[in-house]
Amino acid sequence: MDAHVRRGAARRLSVDPGAADALGRAFGVEGDPSVREAILAALVRIGGVRAVEAVLPYLRSDDAALRTGALDVLKSLPESVECLPALLDDPDADLRVLAAEVARAMPNGAALLCRRLLHEHDPNVCAAALDVLAEIGGPDCLPSLQVCAERYVSEPFLRYAVATAVARIGGSQAPGS
Amino acid sequence: MTDRARRVLVVDDSALVRRWVRHVLEPAGFAIEEALNGIEALEKALGGGFDLIVVDVNMPRMDGMTFLRSLRRQPLPVGGTPALVASTENGPQDREAARRAGANFYLVKPLDEEILRSHVAALAGAPAWTP
Repeated sequence: MDAHVRRGAARRLSVDPGAADALGRAFGVEGDPSVREAILAALVRIGGVRAVEAVLPYLRSDDAALRTGALDVLKSLPESVECLPALLDDPDADLRVLAAEVARAMPNGAALLCRRLLHEHDPNVCAAALDVLAEIGGPDCLPSLQVCAERYVSEPFLRYAVATAVARIGGSQAPGS
Repeated sequence: MTDRARRVLVVDDSALVRRWVRHVLEPAGFAIEEALNGIEALEKALGGGFDLIVVDVNMPRMDGMTFLRSLRRQPLPVGGTPALVASTENGPQDREAARRAGANFYLVKPLDEEILRSHVAALAGAPAWTP
């Protein structure tokens, strides 16, 4: 079937709340980037928990385009907040890095990331959380940043990341900027 | 060999990582430009003149692998610009996917200061990428 037909089908399904599962399955096997985009747009338009659940498995995909597509949908849907605590506690560190990005778009994202930082031992997850907190965090995040700083005292990148976040939250200039 | 600063395009959706790479490489004499995703990177790369592209994998709009495949489809010299993939993912399948997409080298994040500097120095201006 031609790509333009599949794109049209995705657009038509965007008004059918019951189509989220089918669109999610189609996303996983679709090879045409423009059709993938139409599917993701349809899922965002449908919204709700079903749309979140339809893309969630793709965060674990080996295909970078599937991962980033799923991430874009999750960041667009407020219902993602319901699965965010589980994502941030997932055993897979790569998934926790992506979860930090989802948190960036959620109203309670900073609080969840601060909680995660208190016991997070993967440097890339900490860096992802710090990057997000530098943008959305407030003064109540500073104790968590301090814990992180103490954990990575001998790791230059993490020290830099903490200093940047602290500076941004405090309203001063980031190091090296 | 000219004495101009070697130009490095840093492609990462993380502002923190872009700042860190700049923080490490600018004092070593590299001129840094930034892009937030593959689409922006492709637009900048098509303008030519980069000695190296440092690119993340997971990015919105266009991920690093798609960007690399698009870059390698361009005529030389743009299509042959050396590229270093920097990713949090450390599996053999991730490295192989990057190699197949056209990466010259693969580094795992977090990016160590010395390792980043030495690999960028070695790769910037290296001979054009070939499949």
